[in-house]
Amino acid sequence: MFSRALRSPLGAVSAVVIAIVVVVAIFGPVLAPYDPLKQDVAHLLAAPSAAHWLGTDYLGRDVLSRLLAGAPLSLLSAAEVVAIGMLLGVIPGLLSVYLGRVFEWVSLRVVDALITLPFLVFAIATTALLGNSLGPAMLVVGVLIAPGFFRVTRTAALAAATAPYVEAAQLVGASPWWVLRTHLLGKVAPAVAVSAASALGAALVIVSSLTFLGIGVQPPAPTWGGMLSDDLGYLFQQSYEPVFPAVLIIVTVGAFNGLADALRDASGTEARARSAGRRSRIIATKESSRVPA
Amino acid sequence: MPNIRQASAILAASLGATLLLAGCAAGGSGTVAQSSAPTVLKWGFSLPTSWDPVTSSTGNDINTISLVYSSLTQLDSKGNAEPALAEKWSYNTPGTAITFTLRPNLKFSDGTPLDAAAVRASLERGKTQPNSLLTDQLSTIKSITVVDPRTVTLNLQQADYQVPDLLAGKTGEIVNPAAFKTAADAAKIPTDASGAGPFKFKSFVPESNAVLVKNPYYWDAKDIHIDELDLSVAPDPSTIIAAVQTGALDVASLPATSIAAAKAAGLKVDVVDSLTVSQVDVNSGLAPLTNAKVVEALKYAVNRQQLLKVANAGIGSVVYQPFPKGYVGFDPSLATKFAYDPAKAKSLLADAGFKPGQLKITLTALSYTQNVAELVQAQLKDVGVESTIQVVPVGSSTWQQAVYLNRTAQFALDGTVGRESPVQLLGVVYGPTGLMNTSRTASPDFLAALDKVRQTPLDSPDYQPLLWKAVEIGVSEDPSFSLYSTPRIDVRSPKVSALPHFLSQFRWEGVTVSGN
Amino acid sequence: MTTLTSPGFIGQLTASRSRRRFVRGLKGATSWALRMLAIVVPVFLFATFVTYSLGAISGHSPAALKLGDSATPQAVAALNAQYGLDKPLGARYLDWLGALLHGDLGTSWFNGLPIAPQLVERLGISLSIAGFALVIGVTGGFALGLLATVKRGTLIDRLVTGFASLIATIPPFVASIGLILVFCVTLRWLPSAGYVSPTVNFGQWLTLITLPAIALSLDTVAEIARQLRAGLVSAYDENYVTGAVVRGFSDRRVLFSHVLRNGSGPAIAVIGMRAPALLGGAVVTESIFGMEGFGRFGSESALRGDVPTVQAVLVVGIVLVLAFNLLVNGLLTRLVPASRRGI
Repeated sequence: MFSRALRSPLGAVSAVVIAIVVVVAIFGPVLAPYDPLKQDVAHLLAAPSAAHWLGTDYLGRDVLSRLLAGAPLSLLSAAEVVAIGMLLGVIPGLLSVYLGRVFEWVSLRVVDALITLPFLVFAIATTALLGNSLGPAMLVVGVLIAPGFFRVTRTAALAAATAPYVEAAQLVGASPWWVLRTHLLGKVAPAVAVSAASALGAALVIVSSLTFLGIGVQPPAPTWGGMLSDDLGYLFQQSYEPVFPAVLIIVTVGAFNGLADALRDASGTEARARSAGRRSRIIATKESSRVPA
Repeated sequence: MPNIRQASAILAASLGATLLLAGCAAGGSGTVAQSSAPTVLKWGFSLPTSWDPVTSSTGNDINTISLVYSSLTQLDSKGNAEPALAEKWSYNTPGTAITFTLRPNLKFSDGTPLDAAAVRASLERGKTQPNSLLTDQLSTIKSITVVDPRTVTLNLQQADYQVPDLLAGKTGEIVNPAAFKTAADAAKIPTDASGAGPFKFKSFVPESNAVLVKNPYYWDAKDIHIDELDLSVAPDPSTIIAAVQTGALDVASLPATSIAAAKAAGLKVDVVDSLTVSQVDVNSGLAPLTNAKVVEALKYAVNRQQLLKVANAGIGSVVYQPFPKGYVGFDPSLATKFAYDPAKAKSLLADAGFKPGQLKITLTALSYTQNVAELVQAQLKDVGVESTIQVVPVGSSTWQQAVYLNRTAQFALDGTVGRESPVQLLGVVYGPTGLMNTSRTASPDFLAALDKVRQTPLDSPDYQPLLWKAVEIGVSEDPSFSLYSTPRIDVRSPKVSALPHFLSQFRWEGVTVSGN
Repeated sequence: MTTLTSPGFIGQLTASRSRRRFVRGLKGATSWALRMLAIVVPVFLFATFVTYSLGAISGHSPAALKLGDSATPQAVAALNAQYGLDKPLGARYLDWLGALLHGDLGTSWFNGLPIAPQLVERLGISLSIAGFALVIGVTGGFALGLLATVKRGTLIDRLVTGFASLIATIPPFVASIGLILVFCVTLRWLPSAGYVSPTVNFGQWLTLITLPAIALSLDTVAEIARQLRAGLVSAYDENYVTGAVVRGFSDRRVLFSHVLRNGSGPAIAVIGMRAPALLGGAVVTESIFGMEGFGRFGSESALRGDVPTVQAVLVVGIVLVLAFNLLVNGLLTRLVPASRRGI
């Protein structure tokens, strides 16, 4: 599925952008021309120049270096959110199909309840009430996007479990583990991958929304969302400054969304897979549509 | 993001600042000009924590609740008490009783008379209501005697010449006794004020906005040229200029960094002297700050000029005491007390037995001072002190919990909007129960010096030297230290005339709005 | 696929085998209501319990708020007892739920006032913004989705899809600031802050909520456009559409009476799913546009540690979302008869 997705122009471009972003995330701190924490009070809010390609911020720190140095934390926090959401969504999603009706009913109600919570307000309220740091914020957002993964997993698993050939395989004595490995992973994994890609983009927006509102910030470590909200405080001195982190966020989110689309298209070549893909697309968008708008 | 509105709200969270302007001379109620459309002014600020001076919990509230209340006295532009509801006052010879004479024919906004009995009832409620937050300030008053309808005498516990200053603030704001006949009535005052201020309530939506209309019975109503004042919570600071440009607001507080942009947008900017002083609350009860040398090193390690540049675009001045230059309490001999000296800080730390990198502390800052905290962190690192920053969101009760209540903050970037009496301010900053004295230590010397100031008439030649002595002891002994004083910065639409200059309080006397 | 078009939790109703059997057994409005109840009640109880426990776990007490600058340990303890904070969590939840069912949302720790009237005031603001955002989202989304479907495979289709993808990636606070810079500061067409009730001045109300609503709606426009296009294009592949085309029905008739009716399910489902995001997401636009709305009320109360107010805000949010989901589900059942049939 991945190789097929990469052959589409959208997938290829998205993958290249993500690859660049990941390289920056890994090597960014090394590539940074200056110490991202090095302040220079003599040159506050300097315009872009040969020395500082993207200018300096309100403490005279090099913006380019901060953007590069901020990449790991920004992307890691988004990845952490998605990992938590995946863990809390995929496992109960699978279990809801196989563990019997009581667990199914309970897990569905829990997921429904999580979905009815007004997303961003709940995330803010929880983080603020539980002590304002990035850790609880990540956990709360992870829990709140878990229903998306739950749905996708459940739908794909349900389709696989009820497919005639799986029932036939079970009849001829295939072990549950075999069924799980061969059929389930084949159906569930692509759907989850599509969701994860779009959830990564969504998580980046959510995290930057929270940091914009001053929730879960830990200075002086740079994050893209935090830089954006800091820059907005100086909008009238340097109106272009918020553009850099904003563009980075938008491009990265766009690349993840593009990858999700490409994966979705790629997973839908064969007839049955297509209907599953379309289905998962609809559900997969649930968590992306839960991006606080 | 720097945010003056929120800043002042929070600075004030610790203090009760009160400076009332006196318009002058005779009373009498002006008449509202009804000939043309009413004059409306839209002010973006913050709403008070309570419209009742007795339960208001932050000092910044003085700016808003004094829209609907007046006090016996007001402070003039230099911070000296002058007549308001009272036209004159006098002390007895030992200074243990003060008698106020009210202006003739005073009325509350509902038309009921404001007489000596009303003054007594109002002040006594502040002393006795179980949830009163003024009990401490009013404890200096032993009893109140109504001499005649226009004369009231306050009998004091001891000689205290600070009373006219003290009463100029929230402490002395007179609430209509008709509003607190029963405890149930009194419980409604926080959302339905009834006083004798320049304006009165028309409508109020908690946490959102209040619509106030001119009070024709205000003693200085002839100087109020605004028929309706719409007070609302200011938007995000990054959109303040746009809000005033588009007419959504007429007056708002402005971050210092936006002054040039506001002027470029064709708006007017007023920079008004204030009593606002930023300070670091150092809790010497928490290790490693229990070491006096460490605390002293911190005072020298902070480059206040740089902080001022980053925090307020350099507008304001560095101070080493809790008063701005020019104020009665400002002691010129302290002008360079803890001037930036990283070498001295390093040697003090070495004396204390800390090698570079060994000392680790936590800085607590509100989110709007995050930039200052980051700078302080870098400055401390320069002298070998490692620190982490704990950011508390603006409006969060975490600040009260961590800094004032539980006193778990080692090094808190705080500040004060000042208080109406310098003695009161010294008590708050350096006194044994002072809110901003998070160490809760005060030497007998300091308390004795403060008592001497209290017992000295304000016009005595000894007053200022004694006050300076108390300031000097407080500044030298207390672990907390001052950083810089900053003016108030307001942006206004060109159709609004300049706001009068009064230390740390908005007043609207003389303000006109044209072409509404 | 139709079952999957159902919004939110309702979709689950018909998604599983057991559910399908259940669905076949019960027909009619009463049974629909009963089934809804069987889902809504436990969901409501669970969501409110999560909400309530949140306050308890946080360990906040009214002391810091009520006592302000002058709190003493004795006063703090007395106040905690007065507020019944010494009772066990379960008992407090039941007390709270009981009061809630009688319409009593409690009293704020911050200003000591009943929460319900304060909330109603703010809800008006947020519902104005979120409602208008929904209107923009639906109109914009359907217009773009229809355009892309009609011109499918052409450059216009790709442009619309690209545009939808682009606006879906713009964080709402970036959109808000951008809109202010363009429409308020540069063009000076619209005010940038404040709120007026529509009953006071309808025109002013509309100008004030337009920009925040646009900023909030971008995601919804994109999502509806994408889902509508996907739904309609796949509906065109269905046999009955091919049949209609073969029978010589006009393009317009095919689109509006066959394709749209059957292919708009996913897009309508999006509307249902967007409700929590619109209502909750308004917090960002509200704070930028200086409006004291529901979301800002909730987040500021949370920062202040005003637990009862946060709980009330979240509960009202939950009720609104549940109600909206039921509404959309009802609409979906009527509009797309196929969704009754199960998979």
